[in-house]
Amino acid sequence: MSTNRYRHANVIPIASFATWAMVGIFVCAGGLGWVWCKNQLYTTGTEIKTLERELADLKDRNEAALTKIAQLSSTAKLRERYEHDGLIKLVPITNDHIVVLSNTDAPPRAGELRPASNERTHE
Amino acid sequence: MNRTAQKRALITCFALAGCFTVFSFRLVQLQVSEHGEYAARAAQSHVIRQTIVSRRGAILDIHGEPLAQNEPMRTVVADATLISDRAELAEILSPSLGIPHPQLMEKLGREVYSQALKKNMPAPYIVLKKQMPENEAADLEAALAQHKLRGIFFEPDTKRIYPNDKMLCHVVGFVNGADVGKEGVEERMEQYLAGQDGFRYIEHDRTGKEIVPYRGVEKAARNGSTVRLTIDMGLQDIVETELDTAIKQFHPVSATIILMQPKTGEILALANRPNYDPNEQDGVPPDHRRNRAITDMVEPGSTFKIVTTAAALSEKIVNPHTMINCENGYFAAVKLHDHHPYPDLTVHDILVKSSNIGVAKLAIQLGDQKFYEYVRRFGFGERTGVEMPGEFRGSVQPPHLWSRISITRMPMGQEVGATPLQVVTAMCAIANGGHLMMPQIIHDIVDDQGNKIAQYPPQEVRSVATRQATDAVRDALIEVVSPRGTAALAHVAGFKVAGKTGTAQKLDPDGHYSHSRYIVSFVGFMPADDPAFVGLVLIDEAQVEHTKNYGGLVAAPVFSRIGEKAARYLGLKPAPEDPLGSVVAGQNFRDYRDQ
Repeated sequence: MSTNRYRHANVIPIASFATWAMVGIFVCAGGLGWVWCKNQLYTTGTEIKTLERELADLKDRNEAALTKIAQLSSTAKLRERYEHDGLIKLVPITNDHIVVLSNTDAPPRAGELRPASNERTHE
Repeated sequence: MNRTAQKRALITCFALAGCFTVFSFRLVQLQVSEHGEYAARAAQSHVIRQTIVSRRGAILDIHGEPLAQNEPMRTVVADATLISDRAELAEILSPSLGIPHPQLMEKLGREVYSQALKKNMPAPYIVLKKQMPENEAADLEAALAQHKLRGIFFEPDTKRIYPNDKMLCHVVGFVNGADVGKEGVEERMEQYLAGQDGFRYIEHDRTGKEIVPYRGVEKAARNGSTVRLTIDMGLQDIVETELDTAIKQFHPVSATIILMQPKTGEILALANRPNYDPNEQDGVPPDHRRNRAITDMVEPGSTFKIVTTAAALSEKIVNPHTMINCENGYFAAVKLHDHHPYPDLTVHDILVKSSNIGVAKLAIQLGDQKFYEYVRRFGFGERTGVEMPGEFRGSVQPPHLWSRISITRMPMGQEVGATPLQVVTAMCAIANGGHLMMPQIIHDIVDDQGNKIAQYPPQEVRSVATRQATDAVRDALIEVVSPRGTAALAHVAGFKVAGKTGTAQKLDPDGHYSHSRYIVSFVGFMPADDPAFVGLVLIDEAQVEHTKNYGGLVAAPVFSRIGEKAARYLGLKPAPEDPLGSVVAGQNFRDYRDQ
């Protein structure tokens, strides 16, 4: 047996091992990555669903509140509360409390002095 | 390797190859030739088409006050394929849903025939209750989660709400159980108000939870548009209050009040009695649902005299000062009476005194064809085109179908069928200088994104009379609302009011005019010089003494009260008072009579 042959027979194929190890690591990493991605996809999906539901709930609650406001502040309801419940402390304006201002006098002629309003009131 | 071993190895190889061939064949069969069937089965059990519910558009008044909107609700649905303990589920659901336990058990046990599996299967979609309030649904959902019960879902739903209850019911209308508009604006604007549901294909796991990453095709829902009306709820409130007061006072069969903007034709307020609550329309008699302002055809009575007078003045056959012989109260040739005998009246006074003989003579001077032409020009006998369903066109016979006396009866509003809206529209033409405007109830339509998709600008149908003619008629109508005229009680302090009363006899079943049943009305506008609104008060069969059942006594005071409040609401500036405008207390009722 020659010296060369002895040396070559026991050599460890590091390059080959390294190649296969790398392939193995990449495959494992790829597999794990795929699983992780898949898991992330599901988790995100669940989060999306939860957020969608929350958003829908908020929209519904908002709309329900708007409906309630519309019902409570509608002209008919306010009148009802005013007339029957007495909840709105408003005093109806009766005709004896209304003064209709209208200028019934003819316009003054040039140079004419007209009585001041307070003088006329005391007439 | 000896021969026996070789033989065994060969057999094993063949056996394995055979097995794999069978498996491969089956795999190909499943994946290729029977793929469609199995894919369909998988889809049936895991893929569903989820509806994304759209919202119906709101209806608002001119200032944005909601008149119709949606309240979010839930529809409770059961998937019987996911129910493990039916009895326990029914026990929890029964009190919340208000369904008796045995009935609920029967519902939850419902089965459907599966075409794919060729056998009966538990029903996957059973509607248990519609329109459940949000808070109740949330409580029920929590109770089910606490008991770890599956198979019940809460789908989004809505309920149409009318916050003003009975107010404006005939204009707004209502929707049926399927959310489709059935009356009023709800029906007419259905194409805009109705949204378009979207959809989404989803896959769910065996517990019924959606697997979000596997979502399929999705189409978003398009919500309905918002419709804004020309109605002003402030004025509507005034009208409704006064209509209620009139109903309490006169107990009529029906009554209608309309307020309209004469320059634009916008309807500011509209109310009818009897009415109904659109929130609870089940069991309401159809009669109460009728929008009498557009569906009831009545003889307008003396309010129609404005058409005859405007026509005669427009044609310049007469002027306001032309004297007409009023035959001292009885026109023997055509057997026509006036309530008071007048020897001669000017055209102006014919309107002020509401002389039947006077207007009959004006129409005779016009001639059949010309008079008919003007009646049609003023919009009688055709639909106004208002955006509300069920409008009647009224009834105006062409001259060749008239009797010998028709030309003397039609000018005073007999033998003519008109809707209250047509009468108001005709008065608007007098108030605005002779332009017949199309009545508008819709102001604009705004889509879900806030874009204005439709605008309803004022629309002039045609010019119906000359400015001079309408001015002359207006001057006469101002005097009608004075102690000299028939509608002194329509006077509004501080404002010049113009208007005309009408008292039409109803027809008895035998076809003759009744002497006890009347439709009384007043149609007028204020301020007369620059009208802010035209108003019609029409009361059918007021329960008052026969001697007081006149438009000037029943309808005119209602207009006066509405006018006063509306002027205050609209901030109208009082004008100098005309000495004629003051109402004299204790006037003899006979002075306000007309026909």
